[in-house]
Amino acid sequence: MSEIEIEIDGHLVKASQGDSIISIADREGIDVPRFCYHKKLSVAANCRMCLVDIEGVPKAQPACSTPAANGMKINTKNDKAKFAQKAVMEFLLINHPLDCPICDQGGECELQDVAMEYGSDVSKFNLGKRIVPDKGIGALIQTDMTRCIHCTRCVRFGAEVAGIVEMGGTGRGEGVKIEPFLTEGIQSELSGNMIDVCPVGALTSKPFRYEARTWQMNAVQSVARHDLVGSNIYTQSYRGKVKRVVARDNDSINETWISDRDRFSYEGLNHESRALKPKIKVDGEWQETDWQQALQFAVDGIKNNAINPDQLGVLASKHASLEEFYLMQKLARKFGSENIDFRLDQTQLSTGSSLESSINLSEIESVDHALIIGSYTRLEQPMINHRIRKATLDGASVNTMNSKNFDFNFKTKCDALTAPQKLLSALQSVLKAVHLKTNQDTPNDVSDVTPSEIHNIIADDLIASANGVIVLGEHLNSNPNSLAIINLIEKIASATNLKIANITISGNSHSAEKVNFIPSGNGLNAISMFNDNTKAFLLMDVDSEYDFIDSKSAQGHFSKEDVFVVALSSFENQSTLRSADVILPMASFYESSGTHINFDGLVQSYSASVKSPGESKPGWKIIKVMADLLDLQGLDYVDSTQVKEEALQSSKVKSSVDEANIQSIDDSQVTTHWQYAPYASDSVTRRAKALQESNVGMINRAYVSKMTAHKIGLSDDDLYLGVPVSIEESVAVDCVFIHTNQARRA
Amino acid sequence: MISNEAKKEIDFWVSKYPEGRKSSAVMQALTIVQKENGGSLNPDLINEVADYLEMPVISVQEVATFYENYNHKPVGKHVVRFCHNISCMLNGSDELISYLEDKLEVKTGQVSKDGLVSVKKVECLGACVGGPMCQIGDQYYEHLTKEKLDNILEDLT
Repeated sequence: MSEIEIEIDGHLVKASQGDSIISIADREGIDVPRFCYHKKLSVAANCRMCLVDIEGVPKAQPACSTPAANGMKINTKNDKAKFAQKAVMEFLLINHPLDCPICDQGGECELQDVAMEYGSDVSKFNLGKRIVPDKGIGALIQTDMTRCIHCTRCVRFGAEVAGIVEMGGTGRGEGVKIEPFLTEGIQSELSGNMIDVCPVGALTSKPFRYEARTWQMNAVQSVARHDLVGSNIYTQSYRGKVKRVVARDNDSINETWISDRDRFSYEGLNHESRALKPKIKVDGEWQETDWQQALQFAVDGIKNNAINPDQLGVLASKHASLEEFYLMQKLARKFGSENIDFRLDQTQLSTGSSLESSINLSEIESVDHALIIGSYTRLEQPMINHRIRKATLDGASVNTMNSKNFDFNFKTKCDALTAPQKLLSALQSVLKAVHLKTNQDTPNDVSDVTPSEIHNIIADDLIASANGVIVLGEHLNSNPNSLAIINLIEKIASATNLKIANITISGNSHSAEKVNFIPSGNGLNAISMFNDNTKAFLLMDVDSEYDFIDSKSAQGHFSKEDVFVVALSSFENQSTLRSADVILPMASFYESSGTHINFDGLVQSYSASVKSPGESKPGWKIIKVMADLLDLQGLDYVDSTQVKEEALQSSKVKSSVDEANIQSIDDSQVTTHWQYAPYASDSVTRRAKALQESNVGMINRAYVSKMTAHKIGLSDDDLYLGVPVSIEESVAVDCVFIHTNQARRA
Repeated sequence: MISNEAKKEIDFWVSKYPEGRKSSAVMQALTIVQKENGGSLNPDLINEVADYLEMPVISVQEVATFYENYNHKPVGKHVVRFCHNISCMLNGSDELISYLEDKLEVKTGQVSKDGLVSVKKVECLGACVGGPMCQIGDQYYEHLTKEKLDNILEDLT
């Protein structure tokens, strides 16, 4: 684009042809008042607040929708501009209730700020103000639509970013209302961003309602840990409690958005089941005690039960911090045990780190094709899905190979419904098709496969793509042949020159892999650990009811008489009380410093936002003291930065996939695919009340096709493993796809 | 439910627009569906139109609530659409609307007891030269007076 020169408020400024005046003003630090304009949304020019004077143009023009032209002389502050802006402000305030004292937006309200500067203290309008009834749009967003000034940012956010058009402007003239069609609540997993974009108090956070004033809170820069992205956030706390989480701009990670899970999960921190005091189990009875006794009890228990060092098992959830992973594995290895793992939700475990992604976040939005295998990206990794959606808006095509057709917020081109037990052969068929079409040599294992029609289409799209990506997701984890499948995907990617985005792992898994939080040598992994030999366990933030792929055997093993379990946990629930012998209360999210490594391998550290409640302590400190008590050398760190620096020196072990190890499955049998809904992902989110009451949070269905339902005798609304059944044709044959927040029962 | 005949009619309008621009036919579709439903729309029908034209339902609702020619409550067999914009108002439309309301014992937006007539205030119908005026069905009635209104109402069956 050609370069032009314009004059704003007397400054000569260079700009590109076509830049809007407001974007140039923003770049130059010139303040132009606005409501409807948002840098990440399309231009609507309906609030008229950004009117500026352009020399030679008789009327003031909106700065957001007027492109700059060479030689333009713009004045944002002269009498003509100010007169226009003040007139608009007066109109906008005609129906605004001015109830700032009882409005949650007060203090951080764009309307309030602009009114301070442009508003008049007297209104010429003295008739009644209109009142808009609230429809209610779900558990996350509080509506007070009387305050709405119809900027339509939320409407455009839905249409352009969330990809689900839910809010709209109905009626006309003075009767215009911004509302959803029905009152079933908002479906989007990014809905909380509407609160951020709303310039007034019409859309505010429901869980935050009347909790605190914005100027009373202490904002800390932090990093969200629920998914692989590590969205940048601010936590805002008041009197030592996190009261709200809002997005922090970072264009290469989360742009200006965060997912609802990142935004609302903080509520779980204040849940009544927080572990506040150390507890020990003596003769089957729980007793509260002090830290010194509890730690001694824990250490004695480990020493007495793990007589041989390899009788100790160390497990952590994938949401622990880099420092915690590092210290845990160091403790275990110094103790003499290689039984270390964080991959609790996988059926097959590799000997090294997971398949490496060969694309980074910001590149995903410029791919020309994506093949999604085993993932409902929209709910599992919302910000990665957002990038895929952006790619589709630029014309990229998306194919899927899932056991159910999901509600993506973009159009898919070809959906190959594939039951889990048939995924391996389906991918073989795709690989064969790729080989045939590109005249490549076919390896033995796929030589006698005849590609089906749909797999030919998928192969065609892969070959035609110059800059595509294969996304492999969480659903592969529960596949009995997951390693062979991932291996095949790697081959398909290399045969077609495509990049790989591996989102089978989540949370802070990259940190765990970085410090080798997996067994090496003869060490036992999260599956083989539950044998008769492993007598003592050290668990970090592990809920045996939810986190294990085979929770029954894990729970069974933990509750054996001769197995001693030390649980570092932020919460106490029935399953922890049943399985543990000591509960050491641990700081949760935002309560201790730590480090997250995201999808791009970016290392992001954060400090504690609030002090952890009761007597709970940061996980890394607890482990450090335990190591001391176990007489282990080399874990005497002063602060977590020291731990982090040492942890980052480690290098992860590459995986060597054993190809021969393919489980033969009878693929005519009906399989159950148990997939956790996104708000069951971690201990904090599971306790976040509003999230659980939102539409996404209430997902609890066993989907089955008509034919399969007939085969196994199910009908609509029956209970299958405790989950109500929905008969839909969007599910692969011979598969029951369970999507739920309930603890695993199969 | 949208009948097959109505769908055929909608398809005719859809075919007038380029491929992939089904939503352009939303106004005609709503008109057709409203006519079939006895002159008014309801949320179910709006949902169905949205499905049929592959549009977000709120976008259909936006159109259906923006234009005066869509009714969201049941209407009488005949709808007297009375203009109350400036030219008609200066020529006494307000008085005539009150007269009509009293005569039919209804308020604007309501249906007469016999279900025959309902009255609706609408924006300018482009017949300012003949104000005060109203529209009943496809017919404009101009230069209205109370006597004229009496005669018009008598003829409605």
